[in-house]
Amino acid sequence: MTSTSEKTVPGPAGRAADGPDTGRGRRVRHRDHTIPPWLFVVPALVVYGIVVLYPSLAGVMYAFTDWSGIGGFSFTGTDNFRALLDDGRALESVSNTLLLTLAVVVVQNGIGLLLALGVHTSIKSRAVLRLVFFAPAVVSPVMVAILWKYVYNPENGAGLNGLLGAVGLGGLRQDWLGNPSLALWSVAAMVVWQYAGYSMVVFLAGLQGVPAELHEAARIDGAGSWQRFRYVTWPLLAPALTINLMLSTIGGLKLFDQVYAATNGGPGTSSETLSTVLYKEAFVYGKFGYSTAVALVLALFVAAVSLVQLRYLRAREVTA
Amino acid sequence: MTTGSRFRPDRRTLGRRGLLRIGGGAAALAALSPVLTACSDSGGSGKLRLVGVADQQKPVEELVARYRTSHPDAEFATSFAPTDQVQTVLRTQLAGGNAPDVHVLYPGSGSAMSMVELAKAGLLADLSEQSWTKEVPSNFHPAYRHEGKTYLYSAGSSVIGAIHNKKAFARAGVEPPRTWKELLDVCAELKAKGIIPIALGTQTPWVTQLISYALVPNAVYARNPAFDAEMASGKAHFRDSGWADAMGKYQELQRRGFFNENPNGTTYEQQTSMVASGRAAMAVQVSAVLANFRQAARNPDDLGMFPFPGGDDAAKLWIPAGIVVGLGISARSRNSAEAKAFVEFLGRQQNVDRWARSVAAIPFKRDAATRTDPALDGFLPLIDDNRAVPFMDQSWPNAEVQPAHFAAVQDLLAGKTDVDGALGQMDEAYGKKS
Repeated sequence: MTSTSEKTVPGPAGRAADGPDTGRGRRVRHRDHTIPPWLFVVPALVVYGIVVLYPSLAGVMYAFTDWSGIGGFSFTGTDNFRALLDDGRALESVSNTLLLTLAVVVVQNGIGLLLALGVHTSIKSRAVLRLVFFAPAVVSPVMVAILWKYVYNPENGAGLNGLLGAVGLGGLRQDWLGNPSLALWSVAAMVVWQYAGYSMVVFLAGLQGVPAELHEAARIDGAGSWQRFRYVTWPLLAPALTINLMLSTIGGLKLFDQVYAATNGGPGTSSETLSTVLYKEAFVYGKFGYSTAVALVLALFVAAVSLVQLRYLRAREVTA
Repeated sequence: MTTGSRFRPDRRTLGRRGLLRIGGGAAALAALSPVLTACSDSGGSGKLRLVGVADQQKPVEELVARYRTSHPDAEFATSFAPTDQVQTVLRTQLAGGNAPDVHVLYPGSGSAMSMVELAKAGLLADLSEQSWTKEVPSNFHPAYRHEGKTYLYSAGSSVIGAIHNKKAFARAGVEPPRTWKELLDVCAELKAKGIIPIALGTQTPWVTQLISYALVPNAVYARNPAFDAEMASGKAHFRDSGWADAMGKYQELQRRGFFNENPNGTTYEQQTSMVASGRAAMAVQVSAVLANFRQAARNPDDLGMFPFPGGDDAAKLWIPAGIVVGLGISARSRNSAEAKAFVEFLGRQQNVDRWARSVAAIPFKRDAATRTDPALDGFLPLIDDNRAVPFMDQSWPNAEVQPAHFAAVQDLLAGKTDVDGALGQMDEAYGKKS
């Protein structure tokens, strides 16, 4: 029992010897039975193992089978991975995923940075503006996609087309989600609208960490606004940039909800991403084995890109 | 208890061993909980779990209420959700061995949750002993049966035709067409009067297939009823068949400007609204959605439905009529007897009629008291004359052909491919193993 394995060493005033242990004395625990501390994490590990590790490892195993999601399966070696290399739709989805990720990462963070610089000033409405810009990030992605389907209504008098017509830009009206050349970029714009405010918040945190005295010193040295941004603010924003680029890259590579709800990968297969392909392979076509192979490739790809990105970005971080 | 004798009221901190005991106990409970749950359910709770798609909610709730008047002890836990969600959850439950007692089931083959796929995996209870199964017409057997056993309960068939706005037709001074040529003339008249002849919302994937399905019975099955068997044996292909004529006609309707602008960017809901409001004159749709169109219209009686004329001889017109989504019983149901009793109840003539009426379907069996939706009157003679063919996907060998058809039509409408290329995509998907 615990009580028999502990002794209290009297403190300087000898209080422990005079009365009950108040807990203020310095305790030395003599370990009669050595119990490794890692046992404390056993319950958590058991839960983690059941909920995360087992399904993940089982997923890796199923990637080498022909499992249909129900019933038995047999091992098919690397057939699923070889099929993936010959699957035109999957390869098109890889290209779409990369393009979508690139567009989202560049535009979302660019706009996020501009918004952060804008609301990091002394204008009176900055608190309200921060709230307004961040608000879309807390809305469900599926809900955003449904709302934007109204914005992208292809009829001339409705949504974005109606607005363009009203301001004399009727020539720019488009079939935003129905045109195979545009659908992917329309989804990208929707994602940027939703998460630019999120990037803004991270950049804002970075901006608030830039010491005012550095700007003051640069100003005394004669640096203009651009030079102060380029040589003071920008280098010190590197940690915020690292976080934003990492999050938007990972988010872009596994983008599913918005694409599925807005275009379902169409028209045709023009906006399929790796995530929509792996969902359809599993739950529409009943090819769980092949789907888990796609998921495994996606997971490894995301991990590789993230690691490379992290190493590069960390190398250029500086501190104030 | 030894621990009780050593309890020290002044010690508030938990000892390491105590913590380990609690942790170990919690872990053991966590590990045991599935077993305990399984044990508690092993005898069957008596409450029937029924999971359906949203379209089934109305008839199921009505019939459950009626069943409970004669079986007051019967308890149900029903839930309904959109098709995608139900398919995802149900498939996982089937794989995990905890599927609901009664669940949505799709007729024939051609989808991952179809009767044939689940029956092959041994996941469905055999309903062949039930009396209603003997009354299923033989041409519907492929939808209800697999290897001679009935696994699906479905109230009947839903037809594909043109849901039209009578006022829009009257404004243009035209009547529902009875041949392909008449259809082109009517569309031209409507267009000239500034009315969109055919509303099309192919951004919603399942809408893409309806015009093909409406045209293919005349282009393919009227000429060659053995087409499905020839496809299965590899003798026929979409590319060299009447499918090419059907897709050509689909394209012709677009080329002549008879659809709304940008059909690939238009949704089913927008299509519904166009016809209900009279901006568009008609939409090729499945009769099951008539209720939605009526709901969107100011006056439900403004809407009617007629067979979409895919051929040039009105007396020899063929139509598509697919068995509507139904119910199956899980082979592992712990309430199998109760579930079968409920399905037997659903199979009674008056209940088949009730279900069919609520989804604007034509009951698989009819008697003198059967009343179908008046909008379907024009379809009954064709069904009775055996000029109806099941929806094509219900006989396709795997779940990839139907999505390939969706994508092919969208590509065709977007000008990304031609008829040959579109049908090539479908042939490629057909050739994949299930």
